[in-house]
Amino acid sequence: MPLFVRSATYLHILILLLLYAYLTTSWNLVGGFAGVLPLGHAAFVGIGAYTSTVLSLQYGVSPWVGMIVGGFLSTLVGVLIGLPTFKMRGAYFALATIAFAEGLRVMVENIDRLGPFLLNGPRGLQIPPLELGFGRFMFAEKEPYYYIILAMLVLAVGITWVVSRSKLGYCLAAGGEEPEAAQSLGINVARVKLVAMAISSFLTSLAGTFWAQFTLYIHPKSVMSLDISFEIAFIALIGGRGSIAGPLLGALLLRPVSDFSRIHFGDTLPGLHLVIFGGVLILVMLYQPRGLQEPLTRLYRRAMARWAGMRERG
Amino acid sequence: MTLLELHRVSKHFGGIRAVEEFSLEVQAGEIVGLIGPNGAGKSTLFNCVAGVFPPTSGEIVFQGKRIDGRRPWDLCRMGIARTFQIVKPFASRTVLYNVTVGAFAVTSRLGEAERWALEVLRLLRLEDKADMRAANLAIADRKRLEIARALATRPRLLLLDEVMAGLRPTEVDEMVAVIRRLRESGITFFLIEHIMRAVMALSDRIAVLHFGHKIAEGAPQEIARDERVIKAYLGEDYGAA
Repeated sequence: MPLFVRSATYLHILILLLLYAYLTTSWNLVGGFAGVLPLGHAAFVGIGAYTSTVLSLQYGVSPWVGMIVGGFLSTLVGVLIGLPTFKMRGAYFALATIAFAEGLRVMVENIDRLGPFLLNGPRGLQIPPLELGFGRFMFAEKEPYYYIILAMLVLAVGITWVVSRSKLGYCLAAGGEEPEAAQSLGINVARVKLVAMAISSFLTSLAGTFWAQFTLYIHPKSVMSLDISFEIAFIALIGGRGSIAGPLLGALLLRPVSDFSRIHFGDTLPGLHLVIFGGVLILVMLYQPRGLQEPLTRLYRRAMARWAGMRERG
Repeated sequence: MTLLELHRVSKHFGGIRAVEEFSLEVQAGEIVGLIGPNGAGKSTLFNCVAGVFPPTSGEIVFQGKRIDGRRPWDLCRMGIARTFQIVKPFASRTVLYNVTVGAFAVTSRLGEAERWALEVLRLLRLEDKADMRAANLAIADRKRLEIARALATRPRLLLLDEVMAGLRPTEVDEMVAVIRRLRESGITFFLIEHIMRAVMALSDRIAVLHFGHKIAEGAPQEIARDERVIKAYLGEDYGAA
């Protein structure tokens, strides 16, 4: 068992925590750095989940291959959504992305077949666990899933780190904060946002395939619902958008809240976690508008400085 | 060599004729001032040159190429940089970060961009404040930052939109010195300014805009004596003062 986790339940919770940290880190590339608020990333999760599942069920393609195919499909869709919507400001952009993601979900719920592809409408797709193993992306235990999502998270954080220290990252931050000034400094703001969207939708889509292989059952409500998009945004906003630590911190704080409220209040107070998130978000926005990562980063820096000072004297 | 040419440039917003048939030539290495009362159309004209919006009619030529209608980021890459009248720093970022964004117009590597940005900061005597957040700068330093950021893109022509506004007299003198130093390094300036002491001291030539029309153009001394300019803008007391 990894780290200190002993029970399967806790491991499951931990995997979901990492999954959301991964999703939010991917979202952060456009939602954090580019200064817009996309609320339709569930669409990419859905595209990833459905693409790899359909390809593996109907054509026997390994989900790993389907994962990449889904990623490119999501990139294409992400760029197509970005082209008209990145010209919108603030709430209009957020609303347009919600509308798109919801539209896609309703469509999938209402079609059983898309050309040769069987989607099965609202009933969704079941993945029979016939052939286990790494090549089929299917395991009897939860542990392998834990390591896979951990590796994906490390990769996404690594990409974010590289981007934040590159020309693209600087251009995104500039374009997000003062678009007119950024343009006058030679930045085609709409284009850099599209590049960020392409990377972000690709990475988000990979999580969809992971989700499908982890739960072995997908339906539109589970992989395309607005709840996913909202939870990602909650995590990012409370943790701190536009920083590398923010999504990780947000997932670490919020995921246990949603899991425990589901375990303990699932039947008496369903949706309690969203109420808690809303309350926390209001407080965070009032007192730490740049997210909880900021005071913690400051503390960390101060501690490091003190430690360095102590070493010098010692 | 003529760097920038404006041929009968007009800009209309609906029925409002903000700029009407404005023509001007700016030679390489010159400092040309643009003055006029509030609402005369100065910023509109600047925005046409900087590519914020295209002129309604007329031609703008930079280094022999038509540029009217081109977008700001293309113009920046061609060598035209600008500052904004209401400064637009990337407020949540450090001074160095702000200038590095500009430096990325000429390189793609972070190390190189930061080195060049630091050099520009040194040139503008802002290097002590490199690690400060732009939001915490005083107004004079914000104006300097605005210039530093534009300068980092290595422009041939720099459009300055009221960089002296809000500065104290000593700060104005410093800014005049900064602009002179930059001109010596080969940059051409086209500037809007209300502080007459500064425009008069800096400009080789001045154009005067009034209700969208150019009413005068010439050396600073000629402009200061021009009857129409005194009536429209400088005021009867200017010559006496």
